[in-house]
Amino acid sequence: MKKKSLLLLITIICLSVMLAACSQSNNGGKKNEGSTGGDAPKSVKLSILAWNNEKEMKPVLDGFKKKYPHISFDFQFAPPVTDYIAKLQTMLLSDTAPDLFIIAAENRNEIINGGYALDLTDEPFMSVMLDSNKPMLSKDGRTYAFSQTGWAGGLFYNKQLFQKAGINTLPETWDEFVQACLKLKEAGILPLYDRMHDITIIHSAMFGSNVLTKDPSFDEKLFNGEATFAEGWTEVLTMWKEGLIDNKILTPDMIGMTSDQVMNEFALGNVAMFPGGPWNISTIEATNPDIEFEIMAIPGKEPGNKYFNGAPGVGFAVNNKTKNKEEALLFLDYLSTQEGLKQFEEGTGGIITAHGYETKVHPAYEPAYKDGLMAGRIYLPMVSWGRHQEALRNQFLVGLQDIAVNKITPEQATAALDKKLREMDNK
Amino acid sequence: MTKFVRQLQFQLFLLPILAIYSLFTIYPLIKSFFLSFTNFDGYSKVYDFVGMKNYVRIFADDAIISAISYTLFFTFSKALLVTVLAIPLAMILDQKFFTKNLLRVIFFFPSIPSGLLLAYIWGFILAPIGSGVLNTILRELFNIGPQPWLADPLLAKLSTIVVATWAITGWHAVLYLAFLQSIPKDYYEAASIDGANRFQQIRFITLPLLAPAMTISVMLLLTGGLKVFEIPFALTKGGPGYETYSITQVIVLRGISETQYGLASAMSIIFFLIVLAIAVFQVTVMQRREQSMQ
Repeated sequence: MKKKSLLLLITIICLSVMLAACSQSNNGGKKNEGSTGGDAPKSVKLSILAWNNEKEMKPVLDGFKKKYPHISFDFQFAPPVTDYIAKLQTMLLSDTAPDLFIIAAENRNEIINGGYALDLTDEPFMSVMLDSNKPMLSKDGRTYAFSQTGWAGGLFYNKQLFQKAGINTLPETWDEFVQACLKLKEAGILPLYDRMHDITIIHSAMFGSNVLTKDPSFDEKLFNGEATFAEGWTEVLTMWKEGLIDNKILTPDMIGMTSDQVMNEFALGNVAMFPGGPWNISTIEATNPDIEFEIMAIPGKEPGNKYFNGAPGVGFAVNNKTKNKEEALLFLDYLSTQEGLKQFEEGTGGIITAHGYETKVHPAYEPAYKDGLMAGRIYLPMVSWGRHQEALRNQFLVGLQDIAVNKITPEQATAALDKKLREMDNK
Repeated sequence: MTKFVRQLQFQLFLLPILAIYSLFTIYPLIKSFFLSFTNFDGYSKVYDFVGMKNYVRIFADDAIISAISYTLFFTFSKALLVTVLAIPLAMILDQKFFTKNLLRVIFFFPSIPSGLLLAYIWGFILAPIGSGVLNTILRELFNIGPQPWLADPLLAKLSTIVVATWAITGWHAVLYLAFLQSIPKDYYEAASIDGANRFQQIRFITLPLLAPAMTISVMLLLTGGLKVFEIPFALTKGGPGYETYSITQVIVLRGISETQYGLASAMSIIFFLIVLAIAVFQVTVMQRREQSMQ
């Protein structure tokens, strides 16, 4: 019996070692095959992985196919964010990545540093891309993806409920904002819902309105070792805790809510404000066509320092190892044309922020578009932080939930962030 | 020699499954063990050997320490609750009554859909706001205000355990039922002739003869509980803070989200050893118990 077991064990180990050896030699021995030549426009199949689904991408893909009938698509979809990143990562590691893929704030460092994306800086179509969209998708002044969209998030507020509570002007400072929340509470109206499931829209915008208005290059200093999370974020988290948690405007039970619940409660008029973005507007209107609502910025300590949360949209990149480089670049070129931008806008509902393209946004969203996106008063830590964004984001999330349940202080939360950054740098 | 050749013929039949098992279980395990000594980030194929650094880092990681304590609490509470509920349920389902088969189906059903789906549905029931199903029932019937079922550290832990117990009790009851039906009825008849009451019959016939089922059921509950991911993830996403992070969730977080595959591999190896130790201990102890009871 023992002999049999031993035989079985040896066979298992032999097989596994063989497999391990195979995978090693595959990694080492993989060669990039040369491109196939040919003069006539022969039919080409471009593979693409996106986090917009096929229905959303259909108008732009159809428009391109109409213009270049010899090019067809092998379209693949993975939902944002984690699923998409994991899928692309697996494909890149196994040398099966598509010709075109997207780069998001969450995987930009790994994609660019790994040399997986083609340098697009000198391509003619890049002139259409806004300069403010480029830093997220660049390294050392070279840009590796084309982004034609942007988004901004803020606080949606219910105009009728504000009037009912006697709030006739929007708050200009953080104190006025807290007072407005308390006024709503006094009138028996729930002021604000926030799930606290991420670095929230409120936190990002507060950092913009209180820190970036004084020092726009704070994050650069932070990641150069000239500043700390404690210096930048402690005041913001303290204001948030004292204003919203201590006054019980935000309560820990909100942590357990889903995003749909929050949006529904707002649409039904059960809560006066919630943090959201352009993606919420159609659902709010579909749930309650009579609601009067608009988006507003988060004010800072000083009057006039208002900020939104937001970032450039994801960028389309070309695989550095593609055999269809010419056709892949043609697709990006098509995306940058007026026709391509229009098709993309129609299909995905994204907000186009490209040079020479006029976008019509929903009236409720106008403040975020005008005062946020086009004025460059948007901030998203995931885009601005230089490295280890995911690790820092998780640490931030845990810290803010712990503050919300009164387990730790803002000082402890920012100290944990500084510790996390040091730990990740020394890993 | 002939005996060896004969045995080899039988062993050959094992080759296909052996190849699949090696490819999908043993090979990843060996690869993880190898990666746990590197700083592999999941993207770059070039990585360095870092020795035991990843293993040292595990013990300074707040998340994994919190996750180990939550996972053990979850696993043992769930195993206890399921065992305490599944055995009486199996006995009831073993009785002859009109809706017997329907009830067996109803209790078995929650174990069929994915845990993720069940947890999302429970998310609506346990929603912390006033309009959550459970909170509405409590308010209407008992005039109790909304409870933060998924936001309070202790309530969130208990909620995940209750949902997981609800989902799997029926499955384990069916397992016990299969063993119950294999107990010869003569034993009960002999016992009742000897004057044993129902309680004594359960104590001295049913429970001892269910011991093998209990060994299997508890082992499945312990290994399954230690590997838990979907239910706490879908209900609380690990929050508030690190309160309901399971070990597997921390491995996914550190490995995939934070691109620290080396560290995550080291965690997986430690986790594998914990599961192995608990499973071996439990099976040894319970098999001894089986022998002493029979």
